[in-house]
Amino acid sequence: MQQAGTSGSEMEVTWEDQQNINKFGRLNNRLHELHDEIKVAKETCENLEDASNELILTDEEIVRFQIGEVFAHVPKDEVEERIENMKEETSKNLEKLEEEKESVVAQMAELKKILYGKFKDSINLEED
Amino acid sequence: MASGTESGVTERRGIPGAAFVQDVQSYLNHSGLDLNSALAFLQERLQQYRVVEMKLLAQQRDLQEKIPDIEKCLDIVATLQAKKGSGEALIADFEVSEGIYSRARIEESDSVCLWLGANVMLEYSCEEATTLLKKNLENAKASLEVLVADLQFLRDQVTITQVTIARVYNWDVHQRKFRQAASPKES
Repeated sequence: MQQAGTSGSEMEVTWEDQQNINKFGRLNNRLHELHDEIKVAKETCENLEDASNELILTDEEIVRFQIGEVFAHVPKDEVEERIENMKEETSKNLEKLEEEKESVVAQMAELKKILYGKFKDSINLEED
Repeated sequence: MASGTESGVTERRGIPGAAFVQDVQSYLNHSGLDLNSALAFLQERLQQYRVVEMKLLAQQRDLQEKIPDIEKCLDIVATLQAKKGSGEALIADFEVSEGIYSRARIEESDSVCLWLGANVMLEYSCEEATTLLKKNLENAKASLEVLVADLQFLRDQVTITQVTIARVYNWDVHQRKFRQAASPKES
């Protein structure tokens, strides 16, 4: 995990600097969480794609569709509709996550500039 | 957020806030601690924070599992309600034991039973069940939000403490160099 470590000569650290360091730490944590969430969302998208492809190939009229913990017997059309809705929801979610990730990365770059500007070598903001 | 020498909140829900140190010399004078005691105190604080962090992370994981479970329940109740007008029963395959599935025929019904925990199961009408489940879902999501805010506060205090430890240590190194340079070398 990235640590804001300070080493070297005596340097003034103001409350504003501390708040910047804190914010950087928070953003970094959020970035890691976002990576995981995006991974899960992408997997879900793929699974739904596979499911809808299978659905096109099958010639059964009734499909077993998982609702909760059980597999309900649902007519093929309804399953198609449900999967379409799920796909849309997941891709909207994925888009939202990607947007948040871009914003977090931009904010972190900004803070890096400010903190390295003031502390230069005394601070380390890189991933170990 | 108040500005000044000691900034930030003093504590949040039982988690003590880390005091921000404006100037290391005055911090040491003010607390009356010598260098090693100050470092020991800060390290101990850091340990305490880590313990609380573990606890909060475990609670967060529990809530993050609970939320999809409640959503699945809402899904099923909604499906049962949708089937009500049609006159057909819902046929579902369910797991009897690991790897073994059986077919169930769920007739139209106005009510469902909800597991409330502690070996208690109550029958509710579909509408009441939906209301109860939605309320549980909202509570769980609200608790999760509070928990996430707690974790953020905690991590901020950890960062402040880590930075303070580094500064106190550096200050000491600086002081030693200073003293060495100032005192004349003995021949």
